Amino acid sequence: MTSAVRFEDVSVTYDGADRPTLHRVTLDIPEGELVLVVGETGSGKSTLLRCLNGLVPHFTGGTLSGRVTVAGRDTRTHPPRELADIVGLVGQDPLAGFVAEIVEDELAYGMECLGIAPDTMRRRVEETLDLLGLADLRNRPLTALSGGQRQRVAIGAALTSHPRILVLDEPTSALDPGAAEEVLAALQRLVHDLGITVVMAEHRLERVVQYADQVLVVSGGQVTTGTPAAMMAGAPVAPPVVELGRLAGWDPLPLSVRDARRAAGPLRAQLRALPPPADPTPAAVEPRTTEDPESGRIRVRRLRAGYRSVPVLREVDLEVERGEVLALMGRNGAGKSTLLSVMAGMRPADAGTVRMGGADPVTLKGHALLSTVGLVPQEPADLLYATTVGRECGDADASARAAVGTTAGILSALAPGIDASRHPRDLSEGQRLALALAVVLAASPTILLLDEPTRGLDYGAKRRLIAFLRTVRRAGHTVVLATHDVELVAEVASRVAVIADGEIVADGATGTVVRSSPLFAPQVAKILTPGPWLTVGEVADALQESG
Amino acid sequence: MSRTHAIPLSARSRAAILATSVVGLLAFVWPLLAPRGSEILAHASDAPLLFGLLVPLLLALTLSLVGEGAMGAKAIALLGVLAATSAALRALGAGIAGLEPIWIVIVLGAYALGAGFGFVLGPVCILASALLTGGVGPWLPFQMIAAAWVGLGAGLLAGRLPARVEIPLLAAYSTFAAVAYGWMLNLWFWPTATGLPEALSFVPGAGPLTNVSHWFVFNLTTSLGYDLPRAALTCVAILLVGRRVLAALRRASRIAAFDAAPVFVAAPASGTAAVLDAAPTLDTVPSLDAAPAVGSVPAVVAGLPPAATPLIDPEPSR
Repeated sequence: MTSAVRFEDVSVTYDGADRPTLHRVTLDIPEGELVLVVGETGSGKSTLLRCLNGLVPHFTGGTLSGRVTVAGRDTRTHPPRELADIVGLVGQDPLAGFVAEIVEDELAYGMECLGIAPDTMRRRVEETLDLLGLADLRNRPLTALSGGQRQRVAIGAALTSHPRILVLDEPTSALDPGAAEEVLAALQRLVHDLGITVVMAEHRLERVVQYADQVLVVSGGQVTTGTPAAMMAGAPVAPPVVELGRLAGWDPLPLSVRDARRAAGPLRAQLRALPPPADPTPAAVEPRTTEDPESGRIRVRRLRAGYRSVPVLREVDLEVERGEVLALMGRNGAGKSTLLSVMAGMRPADAGTVRMGGADPVTLKGHALLSTVGLVPQEPADLLYATTVGRECGDADASARAAVGTTAGILSALAPGIDASRHPRDLSEGQRLALALAVVLAASPTILLLDEPTRGLDYGAKRRLIAFLRTVRRAGHTVVLATHDVELVAEVASRVAVIADGEIVADGATGTVVRSSPLFAPQVAKILTPGPWLTVGEVADALQESG
Repeated sequence: MSRTHAIPLSARSRAAILATSVVGLLAFVWPLLAPRGSEILAHASDAPLLFGLLVPLLLALTLSLVGEGAMGAKAIALLGVLAATSAALRALGAGIAGLEPIWIVIVLGAYALGAGFGFVLGPVCILASALLTGGVGPWLPFQMIAAAWVGLGAGLLAGRLPARVEIPLLAAYSTFAAVAYGWMLNLWFWPTATGLPEALSFVPGAGPLTNVSHWFVFNLTTSLGYDLPRAALTCVAILLVGRRVLAALRRASRIAAFDAAPVFVAAPASGTAAVLDAAPTLDTVPSLDAAPAVGSVPAVVAGLPPAATPLIDPEPSR
């Protein structure tokens, strides 16, 4: 078996860094494997991936010791341009990497750079369009594509130069479950039909781990490798299906819902005898008698909103009581973000009424708005415009009329150890989200709105976000979050509303809504249905109580 | 503030810059230097055309020399972004009364990214904005070489100004550069300009002293109306936005790590077996048992569990 990629005792140290980002990594990736790279943000994953096409250290600078060989070529002697015909790299944000305006041109661009003959280019564009199911989109502008379509175009653009190795940095982190399926199916096909070696970093393990042949765990610059089952057994981060398997002591450890379901018969029988998990809706929100009874309540009646020619929300009725955590789910473009921006007073309603804590959010100004409703947008950086974290916190204190240091205090509780002199846009996704949350929470809004809060977060950051949202709820804040992340919903939401085509098509307690849906059910629910369990934590608590 | 060299200059490219600058300078000032009664003055009308061809050739040669092996993809990308910015700014200012915001980009860009980058940035900005606004003509090569000098000068200041007063000093430099640029540019057509009063016009063979003083008067009486607004706009703009723009450029330059050269060294001599021992084995990887279980995270903000490794990304967006 030939190796596609060999690392021989590789260390990477960036200029000015006091310790190596990768430390003495030795590994071997055989041809035709799908390799999953796992690790927390900052563990050295991206550095590892960028070693594969020579960007590290040729482009980034720094010192590389040892040897990286890619399809027999040593990256010391072959700069990225001489590896471009054998390694294709697809970045995290496809839109940031696009050069052309329309799909066909983008697919041809890489080949133009490599000087491939025009008739060959034409043939390969056609082949790639068919291979990735993009034929209908060939003349569409890239900006008019959905997230999944964009990611497939980016993969196609890397494929047209016929690389032997495809490297992907978090290809599905920003996608909804359906779009992620599209991309993963395309990758599966490349590996199985064409024998391409795929090396992929991904935080959303629950989506990808069952497809991997080998898993690399990167932790503090060191790399361990093994089969998915072996690595998952001891990995610090694991999808719910694996955690449930570890809890129940299943051997071999299941990686897919199918395997787990087949092993789960005895567990289901055992759980049937136990009481169902307590309703997560907090009955214990202490009524503040001095306050306005409308405080923290959301009333949306017969809401229409959107663009002149395209109504996004047709007729939405929604009531949220104080202390509830409502998850808005639905496919991309269903109207989730529009509903949130109407609730935040950023967009007027075309018809109907919106009352946030008893007031129309469009009429609220300044501090009154900030202390009633706060929105953390999908891209947290949209809220941040100061040049340092410290200044951002200071500005937030001032506009929230909070004591100096309030924002910084919330931030250090959420994500400890951020240097106040750093630029907000240089932070990792998790840190940026924490900063945006801190800025919004400085004014202590009674209603908190979050748009896709787990996009790009690793498991550690997500775990802290979940803990944080529980605290916020216990303190009596109302939370509405729009998300595709079914596992997040299972952990924190008390209620779920599903939006489709501008209308709310389902609304009810989390368990009732998600368990019955093939798309929105968390993994634990799929394994243990018809039981009422949604998360590994609930199962663990129930088993513990029963002894 | 340490000096950044987005485009490092080799001895050869320094020599090329020097040679081009000498020829470029001659292209401007030769009429002033021509001795009395020289034959050469008969060419006063066709000389601008000759230099107009010579200067861009030399400039192209120098730019390719400066770029050779030293201008990486990162420098080209930054050059492209700044040139596009300046072209868009030129469309805004449209050159009315000399109000050309392009100089803000050239001075600040060159100051943040070094002399080599500045020497390339100046002409590329002028060329890009000329193409966009239809400002292509025989004057273009002269504008380009003069802009290259403005960029070079700002780049040479980098690292030599005390950080506390760098913005006022840069504003002063840009004021000087804006006026000097206008005066130099007058030279390319002034010797052939007709219909000027005698005290303002070029007198063939009258000797350097007379002509320099005529040129001086010409500048003061005709083009100052353009030079002063240009100088004032650039100066005020740098005072107002200089700090923020410089911070953004320096951040870009820090992320691009221009000065970090790729280095390859042999792996330490120990065997592979030792390496595998050094790597964490499954037993030492912290398991989920050690971390709080997902369902039982203590839900007090202050008590949030720290991640197993800090979230801080030591090398973000590499």
